[in-house]
Amino acid sequence: MIQPQTHLNVADNSGARELMCIRIIGASNRRYAHIGDVIVAVIKEAIPNTPLEKSEVIRAVIVRTCKELKRDNGMILRYDDNAAVVIDQEGNPKGTRIFGAIARELRQLNFTKIVSLAPEVL
Amino acid sequence: MLLFLSHQSVATMAASAMLSIAGTGAGLGTEFISEFRQLGRVKSKFYERRRKLFRCSCMSGHNFPHKCIWRIPRKTNFIFKSRDSSLVLALGKENASENTDDLYDDLLNKFGKVVFKRNDQKPHSAEVDDDAESLSFAVEMAKVASEVKAADIKVLFVKPLVYWTRFFIIATAFSRPQIDAIGSKIRDLAEKKYGRVPTGDTKPNSWTLLDFGDVVVHIFLPPQRAFYNLEEFYANATPIELLFDNQPPFRS
Repeated sequence: MIQPQTHLNVADNSGARELMCIRIIGASNRRYAHIGDVIVAVIKEAIPNTPLEKSEVIRAVIVRTCKELKRDNGMILRYDDNAAVVIDQEGNPKGTRIFGAIARELRQLNFTKIVSLAPEVL
Repeated sequence: MLLFLSHQSVATMAASAMLSIAGTGAGLGTEFISEFRQLGRVKSKFYERRRKLFRCSCMSGHNFPHKCIWRIPRKTNFIFKSRDSSLVLALGKENASENTDDLYDDLLNKFGKVVFKRNDQKPHSAEVDDDAESLSFAVEMAKVASEVKAADIKVLFVKPLVYWTRFFIIATAFSRPQIDAIGSKIRDLAEKKYGRVPTGDTKPNSWTLLDFGDVVVHIFLPPQRAFYNLEEFYANATPIELLFDNQPPFRS
C-alpha cells in the first residue's frame, strides 16, 4: 500500500537511495499502489557521483511491499520493506542490476526486463 | 527479509496420536506388523497419520519456498522394514512432547531428500521433450535475427539458473529501424510457424524484449548491450552453438 508521501528503498544500482512517492500512475484519484505499479517519485537521498541526484523526479516500479501480496493458490508474500526500481519513460531500468528477491507477478505486468536482471524471483 | 505464510498448518497433533498407536503395538517387532496388516481399519488410520507426520517433518526441516502438496512415494508407506519397527519401539518408550525434534531429525535423515515431491511436476522425459522443443524454437528465432543482420547473437540455456524461462536470445542491432525489423520478423515467424504471440515491448526500444514464455529475446543497441551486460550476469548459463555464421559486431 504505497501512497503519496510514502518513502521507499531503491532495489537497484541506479544511484538513488531513497524515494518518496508523489503520484500513482493509473486511474485518477487512485489511492494505493501495490507490487508492479508505476509511481512518480522524487529522490530523497542519492549516492554521490551518480547520474541521479537528490530532488529529481523519476518513475519507479514497486517491487516489494510490506503489505501482503496474495496469490490465487493461497500463497501470501510479504517483505520487510517497501522497495522500488527506477525506470525511464520507456520502461527500461536505470540501474543495471536489481537487489533482493522480487515477485514473479512483475513478469505478467510486462516488467520482464526487471525480472531478467533480478537475482531471485519468487 | 521476506516471510512465507502457507495454508497448510503444521499438524502437531499427528505426532502424539501416532505415538499412542505405536505404543500399543510396541514390543512385538515384526510379528506386530503382520498382525497390523490384518486390521484394515486401524492400518488405514495409521497410514493417514504417518503421512501427516511426514508432512510436518518436511516442513519443519526445510523452509521450502513453495506451497507444495507433499507426495510420499508409495513404497515408503507400506513396507515397514525392521529399521522402522525399531524406530516405533524407541518411540513407544519416550515422551512425545520432549523428543519430537529428534524424531523429525531421524525421519529427515532417513527419508528427507527423497520424500517430498511437488504434485505438479512433469516427468523427466516430458521436461526433456519441452527443452528440445524450446531449443529448436530459440535456434529458429536466432536464425531469423541473423537474417536481418543482427550481430553477436547469443543463445543461452538459462533453465538451470532461473526457473521462469529456458532460453535467452541476446542480439545487437545498430539502429531503431533495425530493432523494429528484427522484432517484427521474429514476431511474424513465431505467429505463422508456431502460433505463439510474444508479450513485452511492442514499440522498438533501446532494449527491446520479446517474451515467448520459455524463450526470451533481448535486442539491444550497442551502448545498452554494454551497459546492462546480460551475458556477464548469466555467465554461468550454457551457451548454445549456432550453426549459421554469426557476425561479430563491426561497430561498438
